[in-house]
Amino acid sequence: MKEFKHFNAYSIDEAVSLLGHYGDRAYIIAGGTDLLGKMKDAILPTYPEAVINIKTIPDLNYITQSDGILKIGALTTLAEIADSEAVRSRCLALAEAASRAASPQIRNMGTIAGNICQDIRCWYYRNQNNRFSCLRKGGGRCYAIKGDSRYHSIFGGSVSGGCMAVHPSDTAPALIALNAKIKTSSRIIDAESFFEVKPVKTTVLRTDEIVTEIQVPEPPTGTSSTFLKFALRQSIDFPIVNCAAMITVKDDKVAGARICLNAVHVVPYRAVQAEKVITGKSLNEAVAEEAGQAAVAEAKPLEHNRYMVAVARTLVKRAILACAG
Amino acid sequence: MSKQSEIETERMVEMFDNLRADKYPPKEFKYIGQKGPRRVDGLAKASGQADYTMDVQLPGMLHMRFLDSPYPHAKILKMDTSKAEKLPGVRYILRYDDPQLPESENLGHVPTFENDKPLDGVAHFEGQPMGAAVAADTEAIAEEALSLIEIEWEERPFNLDPVVASDPNVPLSFPERYADGNYWNRGVLNEEIHGDVKKGFAEADQVIEFKITRTGHTWVGPERPCGVWRWNGDCPEVWLKHQRPYVGKARISSWFGGVPMDKIELHMLYQGASFGGWTHVDWNLGPLYCAAVVSRRTKRPVKYVFNRREDFFGGSLDEGVYFVKVGFKSDGTITAVDATAYNANCTSPIFNTVLHLHENTRIPHLRGTIKSIWVNKGPMVALRCEQLVPVLAQTMTMDRVAAELGMDPIEVALKNDGGEGHDIDWLNEQKKERGFEVHDSLKECIEKGKAGFKWDESWHEPGTRKLPNGRMHGVGFTWTHEWSDSAGTGEIAIRIERQDGTATLLGIRCDNGVDAENSYCQIVADELGMRLEDVHYNPHFDPGFHTNSPDSASSMSINGWAVRHAARILKQKILESASSPTAPTQRGSYQPAFRNTKPEDLDIKDSVIFVKSDPSRQMSLADFVRRMGTQGPLANTEFQGVRGAWSEPLFAYGYHVQLGDYNPNDPRQKFCRQAHFMEVEVDTETGAIFITRVVNVNDVGKVINRMSCEGQQYGGSVMGMSRGKLEEVIHDPATGVMLNGNLIDYKVATIKDVCPIGTILVETGLGYGPYGLVGIGEDIATLVPALVAPAVYNAIGVWIDEFPITPDRVLKALGKI
Amino acid sequence: MSEESKKYVCPYCGEGFDTAEGLKEHVFKMHKGRGLPVPEGGIRLTINKSEYDLTVEPNWTLYYLIHDVLGMTGSKQFCDRGECGSCTMIVDGEPVLSCMMLAIECDGKTVETAEGIGAEGHPLIEAYAKHHAMQCGYCTPGFVATSKALLDRNPDPTEEEIVEALAGNICRCGTYPQHVIAVKEAAAKLQVEKAAGRGQK
Repeated sequence: MKEFKHFNAYSIDEAVSLLGHYGDRAYIIAGGTDLLGKMKDAILPTYPEAVINIKTIPDLNYITQSDGILKIGALTTLAEIADSEAVRSRCLALAEAASRAASPQIRNMGTIAGNICQDIRCWYYRNQNNRFSCLRKGGGRCYAIKGDSRYHSIFGGSVSGGCMAVHPSDTAPALIALNAKIKTSSRIIDAESFFEVKPVKTTVLRTDEIVTEIQVPEPPTGTSSTFLKFALRQSIDFPIVNCAAMITVKDDKVAGARICLNAVHVVPYRAVQAEKVITGKSLNEAVAEEAGQAAVAEAKPLEHNRYMVAVARTLVKRAILACAG
Repeated sequence: MSKQSEIETERMVEMFDNLRADKYPPKEFKYIGQKGPRRVDGLAKASGQADYTMDVQLPGMLHMRFLDSPYPHAKILKMDTSKAEKLPGVRYILRYDDPQLPESENLGHVPTFENDKPLDGVAHFEGQPMGAAVAADTEAIAEEALSLIEIEWEERPFNLDPVVASDPNVPLSFPERYADGNYWNRGVLNEEIHGDVKKGFAEADQVIEFKITRTGHTWVGPERPCGVWRWNGDCPEVWLKHQRPYVGKARISSWFGGVPMDKIELHMLYQGASFGGWTHVDWNLGPLYCAAVVSRRTKRPVKYVFNRREDFFGGSLDEGVYFVKVGFKSDGTITAVDATAYNANCTSPIFNTVLHLHENTRIPHLRGTIKSIWVNKGPMVALRCEQLVPVLAQTMTMDRVAAELGMDPIEVALKNDGGEGHDIDWLNEQKKERGFEVHDSLKECIEKGKAGFKWDESWHEPGTRKLPNGRMHGVGFTWTHEWSDSAGTGEIAIRIERQDGTATLLGIRCDNGVDAENSYCQIVADELGMRLEDVHYNPHFDPGFHTNSPDSASSMSINGWAVRHAARILKQKILESASSPTAPTQRGSYQPAFRNTKPEDLDIKDSVIFVKSDPSRQMSLADFVRRMGTQGPLANTEFQGVRGAWSEPLFAYGYHVQLGDYNPNDPRQKFCRQAHFMEVEVDTETGAIFITRVVNVNDVGKVINRMSCEGQQYGGSVMGMSRGKLEEVIHDPATGVMLNGNLIDYKVATIKDVCPIGTILVETGLGYGPYGLVGIGEDIATLVPALVAPAVYNAIGVWIDEFPITPDRVLKALGKI
Repeated sequence: MSEESKKYVCPYCGEGFDTAEGLKEHVFKMHKGRGLPVPEGGIRLTINKSEYDLTVEPNWTLYYLIHDVLGMTGSKQFCDRGECGSCTMIVDGEPVLSCMMLAIECDGKTVETAEGIGAEGHPLIEAYAKHHAMQCGYCTPGFVATSKALLDRNPDPTEEEIVEALAGNICRCGTYPQHVIAVKEAAAKLQVEKAAGRGQK
């Protein structure tokens, strides 16, 4: 890697201040498993001038409950979340998502905040030495559209200009399905509104803003959640399609449903049509199947990713059935 | 040399290019065939004590990195390195147009096909290291310097698809070398005709045709290409990551106007695998050549290391498209096969599409054609192994005939087993003629495999068994011969050490982890009558003997013979020495260690020499060689009642010459067979394939190192599963840029992706190697990829003709997308 | 205005100020509670039970520090991108990818590599050698570190738990089946040693 300045931030204020000072020229580093890859491959047009370590900020690694809300510190690792009894019992989808992300070693290093803030994995974006200066780097076009699109969006591109790269997080759809909130150094945002498509960024965070906590509300009684992941390998791989669902059943009928797909669109994709299909109904194979179809009704696959539509449809169906028990 | 040694030497010569069964097998084995002898390298590798070329650090060493072409086909018009040179820590930048770089040099490939430029100014694949080599104090500085080099490129049109590129009207992929067109064959077996396929198809009850596509896959050597060069005066000292140390040394000695072999010091540390691959690339010593030049100019040692992406420098020679036509009778006997392959950049198209069908079967009419087409990707070479092409053709032929007829593929196999167009009876006659015991290897492999796999309960009509978990169950079978791959030469020596009588094997080789060192020690221990713990082999330094290398399949036969010859000759020498007067000088000599004996009266067991008729008369080898005494002036006299003594140095070498041919004219029919079984579950909603069981059955003739053989079965199956359903190199169609030159997007199986693997070893003794052995290392990884297709067919009733068999291809075949 | 042109530069974060007062105010506000500023790049590490006082560059990974700078070449680099597990070391008891960690962020940490595991005579080493849980050996130190970390936290793992723990380690030679056998044997040996009051910890 080329040289850069390194700072340890010892408080949230210090981190914010440093970010304010450096702006786009600095990145924060938590687990480092995303950032260091980007730097080693020099994928971006400008190399960071500074890297700000936030692992030195105390008291950002915790899993606690208060007022019915499960609060998870930004620096809590994926492994800690996967193993946490508190998380498993209340929001299984999140624990399962965390346990299926990446590899055991990365789960020891990667943080929940890092996982939802991570950058896209598109192989044009990530090609070394900024070989493709694409839309997401401020360049002119999306190379996947006329290229190999087998892992790209099946629901079209981003609003402004057509980037087709998907959001790669496993935990993000789980948080959305669980109706979580993201607390930052300056505000609290619904998980669903946290993601955005910008050059070199995948969230709404301002340059001098960092995530400090994830908040998962208490689910109503009769609720179960699940997470499914589809990838070519059973470990290490990013998702090709994943799906998280949280379903509340009362008197044998679905009283509430939140179903979120990811790795299928530029931001996590809430399958509202699927939710509509099952709300008020008893869950069975046929209903789940119908919901799956509805989830992909608006799919606009590219040349090489039609199979992802079939997979997404299947995962929605199976997630629903898994919640049904 | 005495009569005894002469006899053994005569036998050695007799067994060159052995066309027969082992004529002189031993009566019993102690270590050969045992499960349990320890790996020589095990503790070092597990505890991080094993050093590799990547680990080498020398005082003052510079780090060298190459410029990689951003374009699939482009020429450097102008290159300005001034900014790069000014970066602090940059010590030298070697340019492609340096006047002292030769236009053409032999850079390490075997056999000699083409010479290459050490540093080219034209790239013919994206990512090709060329143009400039930067040497700096650290790798990071060298990398940064590369980004400061300014280049004016002439971009040229490029090709990625071999069928498209075979059209004479498309632009040339590599005009500097292949100006006449992209169709470029330099191999031995481009076309093979055996019988008359027209006639064969006319005789058939049914004829089928199909097309198979195999996208590229590559070696992914854990230790990336690297090397270190240091000049000690005018003597090169070289650390090689290479499978062929002799080739490396010989090539180096041809550089710079000629460097005497005796001035080259070669280190072959532990080798982090390459499976053939890089070692077969024409340019594989090119980076080292550049390092040598820079080292001379900077007067510092130079180390070059490829990064992970640069290791994706080419791939396996089976990438391409196969057109196969098969004619057969309704009883399953095949009458004709005509198979044409368009292989991309196939640099050694010497394994014809129908080679195995010719060698293995009674099929009377065969034609195979390989069209080697140059495209703008890296060179495609032998990669565990080059027989991927004929193996794919055989598997598809056999299994598709079975599918058409609704027959058990095992039945079809047995019906067609034979050789060179003749049936199994003819093949058995050949076995007899060559002095082998007659076994039907395929039958034995199948029997054991069926039992181990429970084939009869598992096989069913295609697409008919749905499991409780909703997936479709399927099983597949494939087979072929064990290719002994034992063409080549090898030499090795053994020395009995002074003081403790231990045996040291001497021979430099590439230790890529197959534990062949142990196998050779086992042979020496058994042949010499020594305890295994008294035999040792360190293959990492160069004593001037070059074993055959690499050692995954091709070498066990050759090196096995060589080391056995050496051991037998040495044993005779020991026994002669033990029964002869020693240290003859002008003033007399000493009594023999074993008085009044002849060599044939003696034997060695557990490292002890003894008289056969009276074993109480014995002397350990250690005591025997310790008779060298103190080496000083009193060595040869009696002093204070102690008699000095002397025994001559005990040393022998052996070598073997094997003239194997990879073509149908090879006079040695391949009698050993192998069979493989696979069970899969197919999720028809997502297209995902789960391989749930594999059983390998390999007739290795004779097992030397049991765990090493099993390791090749495990390892080959894992690599095979990975190649069959996960691995493919992907290029951007618009720009020719490789998209997945990393380990996330190029998918090598993890431990969670593999299933229980059953390993069965059969020992019919039908190999041409010593003790009837045949090699194993390359086979399984070559057969298992193809096996995925018939297993999936049995699950879903539809053939998938594209490899790797990924979920999108399954869904497409099912008509779901 | 660039930082270099400002006279008073914060030793903790590099921000520049025109006056000493401004700097002092900043330090109290932003860096209160911090100790005296350490020399840039200064870290302390315990590696295989030995203590090291080091000065590192920001762009050094932990792997580079240990393998290249300190010359402990046991751990290997297969991919250098966090995708293969060969560089795995045990840091503060957890198996992590040293190629994806910055050395400068490892102050105060305890690191174990395959060399250290070998030096303490852990039964894994013998088990790995005995069961041929390696071929070329390049990925082996990473596997050994990962396996040892597993046995430290779960001394009697099931086959499934072993597979899960090793799921981030790639072996191109395909030795996976043997690893499970080796780890199980090492676990059994540890149980025996523990019962006899010998062995680790």
